[in-house]
Amino acid sequence: MDVLAKTLIAGALGLAAGLWSAESALRLSRGAETTRIGAWSTAAKAGTPGADPYTRDAIERSGEIPLAPGEGLQLVARVDDSGTALNPHCLYRVGRKVPAARFWTIGVVDRRGFPIPNPAQRLVFRSSEILRDSDGGFAIAVSASARAGNWLPIGVSEPFYLVLRLYDTPFSATATAIDKDALPRIVRESCR
Amino acid sequence: MKRVAATMRRTIIDIATIVLGAALTAGLVHIVAILIIPFYASNDAFARLSNLGPINATILLPEAGSPAARLFPYLDPAVAAAFCRYDLTDGPVRVKAPVARYEFSSLSFHTRRGEIYYALTDRAATQNALEALVVTDKQLRAMAAHDSEDETPPELRIVSATNQGFVLMRAFSQEPSLLAEAQERVRALKCQPEPPPG
Repeated sequence: MDVLAKTLIAGALGLAAGLWSAESALRLSRGAETTRIGAWSTAAKAGTPGADPYTRDAIERSGEIPLAPGEGLQLVARVDDSGTALNPHCLYRVGRKVPAARFWTIGVVDRRGFPIPNPAQRLVFRSSEILRDSDGGFAIAVSASARAGNWLPIGVSEPFYLVLRLYDTPFSATATAIDKDALPRIVRESCR
Repeated sequence: MKRVAATMRRTIIDIATIVLGAALTAGLVHIVAILIIPFYASNDAFARLSNLGPINATILLPEAGSPAARLFPYLDPAVAAAFCRYDLTDGPVRVKAPVARYEFSSLSFHTRRGEIYYALTDRAATQNALEALVVTDKQLRAMAAHDSEDETPPELRIVSATNQGFVLMRAFSQEPSLLAEAQERVRALKCQPEPPPG
């Protein structure tokens, strides 16, 4: 086989593989520099000049307008405390506390980051409206069927993520400083 | 028998060369693709915001969960947001945003490339308003040349690395029924072009 033919084959294969790997890297990840804290993960540098190229591309392509460090911090949970992917057929208990912040919200989104519409019109719980126990802690039930108390509805079969947003928090720029125990636990209780 | 072995060996070497070449090319293509995407992304947040209204106008972002908000993932349904795009080619832009007491609101400043280069919250408000002048590096130097040495500049000046960009205001609603009120607060964001310094 002559050199030209080999070069052409290698070039074509390399181009295809390179584009495919770049595409799938962007499709599958939300950036290289995500910090995992228990079940939660965050890209604290998203949207800043210090963001890594993968984070930058992911933001660019999704159209997301991230929170600035200084405004707040967004954390996303795709798994529960045991590391198992969140399953729409299960009931989860989320609570009981949240890192120090002036306000916070916990909500449910689909895999692309959009709220999942539901008849109860409950997309998110705010720190200022959530029902708390006498000790100040809270528990949210995340499930497809209605629950008493703080209930975040999810779609019956739609995969979902949990999103925690902290506004005006000292942790904005230093996500690694957040202790795992300070974040809400996500415990799977029962599955259909 | 020897000839067959030699041909086989050559074929294996050929395949190995092609695989190695392909792997090197793939690595290079991957890196280049990842690095140039931000410069060619035509559907980033800025492009999507551009379709919603003219420059300098304050435009309310659609409510998270509504069909119109499908353009912007990870919007918080508890937070109202409005933005204005700016263009500093013909002069700085003055940004003003009244804030309410005890309510969280914030301003973030984004370049054309989607980098956040500054942000402030209602805690930085003076006389119940956040105010800043967005300038280019060149305009800042021209203004500094005119500033009196005895007085501090009357406003917060923020340098945007790109001529174009946008300012986003967020306001937190403490109850679902207060979202409309938060939307009113972010609608009060003002972006006014000013004459060039000098």
